[in-house]
Amino acid sequence: MPRSRRFSSALNRRELLLPYLLVAPALVVLLALSIYPLLYSITISLQQETPAGVVWTLGHFKRLASDNFFRTAMVHTFVFAAAALTCEFLLGLGLALLLNQQIRGRGLFRASLLVPMMLPTVVVGVVWRLMLNPNFGAINGTLKQVGINTESLTWTASPRLAFLAVIAVDVWQWTPFVFLVLLAGLQAIPQEPYEAALIDGSSRWQTFRHVTLPLLKPAILIVLLLRTMDLLRVFDQIFILTEGGPGFATEMISLYIYRAAFRFFDFGYAAAMSFVLLAVTNVVSVVYIRLLQAKA
Amino acid sequence: MKRTRIFRTGWLVLALVAALAPVYWMLTISLKTEVDQFAIPPKWFSFTPTLQHYTDAFVTRSFGQYLLTSAIVAVVSTFFALLIGTLAAYALTRFRLPWNLDHKLSLWILSTRMFPAIVTAVPLFLMMRDLRLLNTKLALIIVYTAFNLPFVVWMMRGFFAEVPRDLEEAALVDGDSRLGALVRVVLPLVSPGLAATAVFCLIVSWNEFLFALVLTQTDAAMTLPVGIAGRVTQYEIKWGVMSAAGVVAMMPILVFALAMQRYLVRGLSLGAVKG
Repeated sequence: MPRSRRFSSALNRRELLLPYLLVAPALVVLLALSIYPLLYSITISLQQETPAGVVWTLGHFKRLASDNFFRTAMVHTFVFAAAALTCEFLLGLGLALLLNQQIRGRGLFRASLLVPMMLPTVVVGVVWRLMLNPNFGAINGTLKQVGINTESLTWTASPRLAFLAVIAVDVWQWTPFVFLVLLAGLQAIPQEPYEAALIDGSSRWQTFRHVTLPLLKPAILIVLLLRTMDLLRVFDQIFILTEGGPGFATEMISLYIYRAAFRFFDFGYAAAMSFVLLAVTNVVSVVYIRLLQAKA
Repeated sequence: MKRTRIFRTGWLVLALVAALAPVYWMLTISLKTEVDQFAIPPKWFSFTPTLQHYTDAFVTRSFGQYLLTSAIVAVVSTFFALLIGTLAAYALTRFRLPWNLDHKLSLWILSTRMFPAIVTAVPLFLMMRDLRLLNTKLALIIVYTAFNLPFVVWMMRGFFAEVPRDLEEAALVDGDSRLGALVRVVLPLVSPGLAATAVFCLIVSWNEFLFALVLTQTDAAMTLPVGIAGRVTQYEIKWGVMSAAGVVAMMPILVFALAMQRYLVRGLSLGAVKG
């Protein structure tokens, strides 16, 4: 009897330990490759090499506060994110509303729209360098064909056009994603509220404003959250398309940090700047999550 | 009624052309001779195709090697992320831990995915330098495993939650162990989800650029995106070679994405939208 009880308590203990054993490998990997690097980064952001050796200092953060390039890159990132997010949202919502009905060829349409968003970002950069090349690109070539003077349309060589171009490329790649999420959200809305609105004699705009939008709000907030996080850290396509140029015109915060670390080997300063980026993304995500929970 | 239908079809066709024309343009550049590439007006359809740029990229130059590196890194890191992540996800859906720990751990795991890549890229470069792992496939495999892990945990949590508990409890009553029940009863039921998650990890690793750029700079270790990027930022660009490499880099991804369309929205939103 005692023996079997001991046996069953050993079994119980194993059962109790099991979840921890199953989670442990994942935790070890994430501690070693997410949390440890973060602590490492904090350390180097607070250290500076001096002739007298390594000293602890707030020097990097002080330098950051008076670095005009850093501020400009920050402003670029926000303007870029706001502009791209607005366009992606409006276009994506429009397409989702258009397609939220049974029409022929919907599957084909959906599948084709997947193409831009699944492309490797580097390939997106290549595609658009080919499209926007002032001499043989398809855009200027086509414009010339219909008789438009393209001499001033140098795209990535002109500061203002280059900024518009990087926004347009992001809109091209990610509108389909916004569309797909909002379409999924629309299709999850039940029919009853619409029937009620019909009986009440609401106009189409009223129905959209008071039925569709509130019920779509969770999907909207999630897709805006995911897009904002990605937009604030944008790097790949811009690195290929303009490398932040011409001059400093399309320099984004991630590119500036990359340059500080891997061109000038100023790792401490790069780490300090990356914490500002991390803080900003955190604040933004907290705001979204609050909004999401407020309504739920 | 008819007018709105024409209006709608017009918009949809416009969206289709806008989405596909640029990609098609790259495809044509990869198949054109240099004379046709620079032709004005642009030649969209009428040109004599050549495979010269593909042999140039993958036989003469080292793009074949980059391709192999990309494939190895993507497959191996996906395997480890799935193995580690699925076990964790199972534990976090099926066990109630004290102090609500199961819930808190899940959220913490998700939050590590939210770090901007550049924030971890700087210290990871220094760590890999200290470990003498720069310019190795191993470094990328390790980093991608960690990068995909939160994603696997969240996707698989969703799929496990959809499996009724009664099924494994029946297996437990029949004398199966917990892990036996997981392998024999639960995993077969979530296998479509597991496959979708795997394809997702493959896509993410295959497309990833920043970590690969930072951690690999030699021909022997760089992935396809880094190889392409190195050629784009040179002064004299071989457009045909670039495009050929671009087309090859996107092909497997498009096949995969179409094969798992059903789970795409769910994956891209980390399980938040069930699509």
